[in-house]
Amino acid sequence: MPAGATADGRSIALPPSLSPEDIARSQDRFRVYNARRRGSRWLVLWLLVGPGILAMLGENDGPSMISYAATGAAYGIGFFVPFIVITFAMAFVCQEMCMRVGAVTHRGYGQLVLERFGRLWGWFAAGDLILTNLVTLVAEFVAIRVGLAYFHIGAAVAALLGVLLVVLTLSGGRYWRWERIVLALAIFNALFLAAAILTGPSWGSLGRSLVTFSPLPGGGLNTLLLLVASTIGATVTPWMIFFQQSASADKGLTPTDLRQGRCDTIAGAVGATIFGIGALVAGAALFAHGGSQIDGLAGAGFPGALARVSGRLVATLFALGLIEAGAVAVLTISASTGYAVGECIGAPHSLNGSARGAVAFFGANAGAALVAGATILIPGVPLLAIALNANVLATVLLPVALVFMIVLASDRELMGQWSNSAVRNRVAISIVAFISICGAAYAIDSFLQIVHVV
Amino acid sequence: MREPPHTAAMDDHGHYLEPDQLLAERSRPLPRMALSSRARAGLWALRVFSVLLSAMVVYVFVVQLGR
Repeated sequence: MPAGATADGRSIALPPSLSPEDIARSQDRFRVYNARRRGSRWLVLWLLVGPGILAMLGENDGPSMISYAATGAAYGIGFFVPFIVITFAMAFVCQEMCMRVGAVTHRGYGQLVLERFGRLWGWFAAGDLILTNLVTLVAEFVAIRVGLAYFHIGAAVAALLGVLLVVLTLSGGRYWRWERIVLALAIFNALFLAAAILTGPSWGSLGRSLVTFSPLPGGGLNTLLLLVASTIGATVTPWMIFFQQSASADKGLTPTDLRQGRCDTIAGAVGATIFGIGALVAGAALFAHGGSQIDGLAGAGFPGALARVSGRLVATLFALGLIEAGAVAVLTISASTGYAVGECIGAPHSLNGSARGAVAFFGANAGAALVAGATILIPGVPLLAIALNANVLATVLLPVALVFMIVLASDRELMGQWSNSAVRNRVAISIVAFISICGAAYAIDSFLQIVHVV
Repeated sequence: MREPPHTAAMDDHGHYLEPDQLLAERSRPLPRMALSSRARAGLWALRVFSVLLSAMVVYVFVVQLGR
């Protein structure tokens, strides 16, 4: 038998069937087991949180924050504040299913779709994901570029920083290490909240809008539909589904951990809601000025516009927030690309593995970041349009991914006692219908306008 | 939910993974789900719907870029 070691350094004999990936995951489970045995609830929670917070805060990404700020600048504090709360409540329902399916089956979303529905559907799912991920990754690099541009740092540095971050975090060789680094970065999503507070918003208006969903947005229908679809795409997306299920399996969650997994997902949703509203409120400082000062960087120059209206500190916090939002999302979205490719071609796909043993997983992870980073070096790229349309594309492709997730989570053969209840299914199907209608409304209205039918 | 009891297998094998968490077990393919023809038709309809919408979004984006 080969020699191995537990997390406390004990030397043990291992059966030949254990791979290095199994050993790494087993060491993480050993710590959870010990914490539970000692009755340390908070330590158990600390050890098990991660995928939910990362999926939710990862989705508070560059394009999402730009989209929220654009909404605030266009409509002020009003309907979209409670709308963000609703979209994150929807995100919780979807992501809880992902966590549960990952913890019960120990398999990623792509692998399950491929095995349960066949290769064609598996490749469709992976194809959708790779397409939306590449577009979204470009938008993440756009956010890093917009943030760095405020400090007079160029696009080449933004691209290099993003790619280097992916490569460096991947070189840790352990899921746990990768997860903790990204979690530490994700905390800085709170910068948007700080920026919002410093703009001196009217708390009364904020409270009223949360309760009354008013004032309702005015202006053109198509812009409104774009921002509704974009806001949905800023909270629930295909990559989150792939990421949280695969990360839950990679982390080694089991059905015993479902309560902590739900706490993790709720914590992520609450944090993301507060910070997302923060970005909207910060952007709303530009509302009184008609949002017209957002002219730099092809319409995405929020930090520069905020500097003129709310001062340099707010602008600096917003710019740093954009860099953080883009960086965290580059890491999580690249990881979801790697998981999807690895799962669909049946190659090793774990952050607990080595780059040499999982070439496809690590290659797709870094390759996606490299392609997206290179794209922002193209001069004259319309940054705000890319950021908003990345979210819209995610919204229109999301219903298919969600339907498969609902079917998997309801599959009693697969999930046993942890399968979806009838009530959960009704709620989840209502969410799919709502997202489909919002995505379709924008796509059809825009298309008919472009071809001059309306 | 409580942690499953400590088993002899944990000490013997020195690992704390459920049997189906092992890489060898996770790599074993699951059987295909039996879908009714209505379910298959529904999935295809949704697929076509999402592809059409994506095409519209991409087309609108490209046209707007050219303006």
